[in-house]
Amino acid sequence: MIRVFLRYSIVLIAAIAVGLLPAVIGAEERECPVPERFYTFEPPLTKTAKALASRREVVIVALGGASTMGVAAGGLEFAWPARLASALAEKFPSKRAKVINLAVGRQTAKRAVERLEHDVLPLKPTLVIWETGTMEAVRGADVEEFRQTMQTGINKLRAAGADVLLMNMQFSRASDAVIHFEPYLTAMRELADINDVPLFRRHAIMRHWAESGALDLRAGDGEKGRELAANLYDCIGRAMADLVTRGIPAAKRANRAGGDR
Amino acid sequence: MAVASYPSAVERDLRLDFFRGLALFCIFLDHLPNNILAEFTFQSVMFADAAEVFILISGYTAGMVYGRAMERQGFVAAGIRVYHRLWQLYVAHIFLFMIFLATVAYTQGALNKSLYAEEFGATNFLSEPGLALVQALMLQFQPAFMDILPLYIVLLAVLPLVLAGFRSWPRVMALVSFALWLAVQFDNRIALAAYPGPDRVWFLNPFAWQALFLLGAWFGWRNIHGEVSWLTRRWLFWLAAALALTGLLIRFNWTLHDFYDPIPVLVSGKLLWPFLSKTDLGILRLVNVLAVALVVASLIPLQARFLASSAAWPFLICGRNSLYIFCLGILLSVLGHLVLNEFFGGVAMQLAVSVAGVVIMITVAALLEWFVAAQGTPGGGAVGAPTASKGARG
Repeated sequence: MIRVFLRYSIVLIAAIAVGLLPAVIGAEERECPVPERFYTFEPPLTKTAKALASRREVVIVALGGASTMGVAAGGLEFAWPARLASALAEKFPSKRAKVINLAVGRQTAKRAVERLEHDVLPLKPTLVIWETGTMEAVRGADVEEFRQTMQTGINKLRAAGADVLLMNMQFSRASDAVIHFEPYLTAMRELADINDVPLFRRHAIMRHWAESGALDLRAGDGEKGRELAANLYDCIGRAMADLVTRGIPAAKRANRAGGDR
Repeated sequence: MAVASYPSAVERDLRLDFFRGLALFCIFLDHLPNNILAEFTFQSVMFADAAEVFILISGYTAGMVYGRAMERQGFVAAGIRVYHRLWQLYVAHIFLFMIFLATVAYTQGALNKSLYAEEFGATNFLSEPGLALVQALMLQFQPAFMDILPLYIVLLAVLPLVLAGFRSWPRVMALVSFALWLAVQFDNRIALAAYPGPDRVWFLNPFAWQALFLLGAWFGWRNIHGEVSWLTRRWLFWLAAALALTGLLIRFNWTLHDFYDPIPVLVSGKLLWPFLSKTDLGILRLVNVLAVALVVASLIPLQARFLASSAAWPFLICGRNSLYIFCLGILLSVLGHLVLNEFFGGVAMQLAVSVAGVVIMITVAALLEWFVAAQGTPGGGAVGAPTASKGARG
């Protein structure tokens, strides 16, 4: 009798535990954590941090290609810039951080720089997140030219008083087997380093997620593929929010977020 | 042939084999993704990397071997030897391309997934395999890792003419070669178009890289009749040593900074990048590799004892069979790349793949040595004519 009871209670407890598990994990730990080592030496975004801590409106502009447009997940609302916006809203409930997605499919760095004057700077962005490098790597463009183009872009944005954050290419086993990303990844790392702007190491971070099993980047087509993409972009948006808010002192962050952490 | 090649057996410069072997290992290690061991290759302490070392030494031995062949057997015979070797390289290139195609075909489904739509959409060769095949046959299509063989092939293709030119107008040849390199430095539109276009060019610009290869060939050719006397001048040594040391300090500082960010950068890369282009063989890369070569050649004597030691043996045999080991190394890079991206596994896996690759290279080189010795080819194996004559042995 006691044994039967014990058995049922164990099953019951297990069921409750399993039912609660996602909620617990959601609260405590994310399913796709980014180890500190990917951020450790990234310089803080001082202007953005100050703006987020003040009462001013914060405008964040995202530049990039298809992976920033969120095509694979089914639209802009699932793209990482939108996920970044909602992650920031969670962190700073009292603030309105506006994230404007200006991504265009297959956009080269050169084209992005040409668009700065008319499309980006008039928005008076506090922060511009520039996702690039994919088209150059795929097309095997001249690395030196890519570097110079990016340098021009960074200079322009800084001259206009915006913080700059760079984001490199996606990782996948398949594309890495066929496309030679290495020289462009190196160029972007060196550019970020020399200009003292932070770099969101999407390639390395996605590799880490694939390696640790956090995300199965090989998931299939159709609905499953769409789910994976949405999940991935959410992970990237949240990780990006972490990187963006690094410059804000922990105490202030806790205050504004109303005990988020 | 046996009699003719006798003097070379006596003079054989083991340093060439040793450093070419070292460069081959480095090229393999540098090509593995995220490889921790790539932090311990030439590129961590030199502006140049293993590719420059390999091309310089290859130019030198080619100039020496084929220059001698041209003097003894005439233009046509030497030319046929060069083209025989070129043919082997071409076949190796096509073989590597087949592996690339297999990879693409295998991963096409994965690439086709919407998450990587951008990458997929832009790699339009998948949609026109016929054109891609023809472009690969014409050396215009150079996917990852397939850029150094085409360079080597076109350099060898012009070598017979260059050697003939050396005999008649050595200064004119040197001047033309240098001028071409210089022109590329100022105008990088001097390049060979590559597929898929429209803006793509050869990753290693032959118009720039020919300078390094031909300079090596020129020294190798001059060396047939004794050392080039001005190379042993004292001031030149000190100048080269100063340049090499400066390069080492700056580059190693970057390596350390890359490894641990708070270590300050002494000389900003922003100033030097314009002169560090790998595609166009920037002046810092060219000067750096020449300076290091001169310093190493001066400091390590021809009869250095360590070259006869068993520790040097794996490097020597790989350098001696450089054609095969070079192709094998690239093949292993491609396979290692696939393994590391498929199974990951961190530093332990990187080390395992690196060690396995190097062991395979050494084993194959040892088998080749044994095979040549067993065949009893005149002047073969251990002390035989330099690598380049492998083509003649066929």
